[in-house]
Amino acid sequence: MSIDKQGMNTREGFKIIIFTLTVSVLLTLVLLGAFASSFPDAVTAFFVRPLTNRYFFGNLLAAAIPLMIAGLGIAFAFSSSNFNLGGEGQIYAGALAAVLAARTGGTNPLAIQMLALLAASIIGAVLGGISGLLKRNLRVDELLSSFLISGITVYSVDFLIAGPLRDTSSNFMTTAAIPANSAFLKIYPPSNLSTALFLALAAVITGKFIMDRTRIGFELKIAGANREFAQYAGIGASASTILPMVLSGALHGFSGGILIFGTYFKAMRGFSAGIGWSAIAVSLIAKNNPLGLIPAAFFYAYLEAGSKSVMLGANISSEIVLIIQSAVLILITATRVPLARLVSNRNQHKKEGKR
Amino acid sequence: MSSAFSAILSNAVAGMTPLLLAAMGGLFTELAGSLNIALEGLMMTGAFAGIVAAHLSSSPAIGVLTGLAATALVAWVYGIITIGLKANIFITGLAVNIFAAGLTAVLSQQFFKTKSVLAFSLAEPARPFARLAALPIVGPMLFGHTWFVYLAWILTFAGWVILFKSTYGMRLRATGSNPKALIILGKNPETYVAQSIVISGLYCALAGMSLSFPLSAFVPNISAGRGWVALVAIYLGAKKPAAIAAACFVFALAESYSNFAQGSLKIPSEFILAIPYIVTLLALISGALARRLSDRK
Repeated sequence: MSIDKQGMNTREGFKIIIFTLTVSVLLTLVLLGAFASSFPDAVTAFFVRPLTNRYFFGNLLAAAIPLMIAGLGIAFAFSSSNFNLGGEGQIYAGALAAVLAARTGGTNPLAIQMLALLAASIIGAVLGGISGLLKRNLRVDELLSSFLISGITVYSVDFLIAGPLRDTSSNFMTTAAIPANSAFLKIYPPSNLSTALFLALAAVITGKFIMDRTRIGFELKIAGANREFAQYAGIGASASTILPMVLSGALHGFSGGILIFGTYFKAMRGFSAGIGWSAIAVSLIAKNNPLGLIPAAFFYAYLEAGSKSVMLGANISSEIVLIIQSAVLILITATRVPLARLVSNRNQHKKEGKR
Repeated sequence: MSSAFSAILSNAVAGMTPLLLAAMGGLFTELAGSLNIALEGLMMTGAFAGIVAAHLSSSPAIGVLTGLAATALVAWVYGIITIGLKANIFITGLAVNIFAAGLTAVLSQQFFKTKSVLAFSLAEPARPFARLAALPIVGPMLFGHTWFVYLAWILTFAGWVILFKSTYGMRLRATGSNPKALIILGKNPETYVAQSIVISGLYCALAGMSLSFPLSAFVPNISAGRGWVALVAIYLGAKKPAAIAAACFVFALAESYSNFAQGSLKIPSEFILAIPYIVTLLALISGALARRLSDRK
């Protein structure tokens, strides 16, 4: 049973990742074969263009940025057994808060960025924290409360963007943009890739450090492994419930702010939809290990870039990516035990055969 | 005023139908010991497969059967993956929701060249008691509805009988509360978990079709969070069908009232859309408060 949880060794883990990759590539080929008008073109567009076309490749890397940061937020919550399903609302609200804070009249780009990202993190932290408080004080299931709060938040932000905060000079449902000089520097034109990439990598490494080398991280993991034991060990309910939800919300809000300064510069209606759910998947693939978020986010972004690329000209819906992603999600978690067993059994047979 | 009042009540009775069906489906898995967050995706599958099959075959009956079969298939796969591969049901449930959103969009694009609303020209679902709708007061509230509404009531009652009055239901509930007892009886708890997931799929299929058939259309995200509201209804109803039905009615009443208010009070549509979430959250919190107060006594 110990293999069920964390006891699986790296080699088995590696085999499972290879297996998941193989099956998801095969599934993609099947889907492209079934739905694309021209199979060879679709395969090139899906698998090759995101890596060889400068614009697509840069955007692929850019798309991984919010997934890493929000994924880190999920990792903090999940590793302490708190289910934050409110990421969608936290990201969207964080993005709007960043725009508002950036437009308060500052002139120093760095000061604007810091103020805006702080505002984004705070709104996310508050939204996540409410679920943490409700869980600690009233034992309200945070999985449900965070999802419901997120629903309310998304519609409220929708309203603000379409109504009071709308930039009336634009034909789109959008706020006005942040001051042009405050955006992050583009580092790979013509794509959207910006210096935010370094921020994301720094956040993930800091997250790894906090989780493995600090008291806070240790307490979170103990609470995640066994809540009762954590209580006996003197880890309070606040530390094991509210703190992870606050941290998780703050990181989601932060990633919303990063989206604004790195890619979008203004909050458009629904522009961040889906990132919260993807971040959950990314963190699950990374098994809540912060460093694992880096390859997991790039892999997820690659699938998304491929499906966007294949949509051009192949008359196939980019939602094909959702089907592939759901398969990846199931495979990477489901194949843990039985597949590892299958593989090791086969190896044993081989060894026995040699004898 | 009184006509508005009866219209609000009548819409609430119709509006509670998908919630009630999804919640009853979720109750089967809940009592078998697992939180089924895939209700949303299963509803979407049923709504899509049912209406598309009804359109293609020009037969609502074939549509309903196809919707049931397709959703049961998805639920069955969801079940065997969860149990057979010992995966976390939370993760597989999430995957089902993502899968349903993806598959419906891809198939829409493929066969109807659009990812937005698929509007068909199917006849309205039958209203079996429409003649009685002329009765004063209770008439419009209880009798003017489509057959989905009455089927939901029947299936709620049937669900109660199966879960609480039959040996099968007792064993299914034991799966969640005391699986060792089942093993002693020589029964495999996993069989009951798998069956509960397929049953929840059948209920959700009807829940989804009760949305798409009256509209004669499939709208992306047609379930609009109802699977989650249904989970809250199970919790608030303390896993008792009658109380779950009451919770669903309260949620539907709030939605029906806000739809009415939108017309007369000119509330922004975003807030109307947010109202089910607000009411559900408030109900969740007050339920927890009440529980806490009664614990203290």
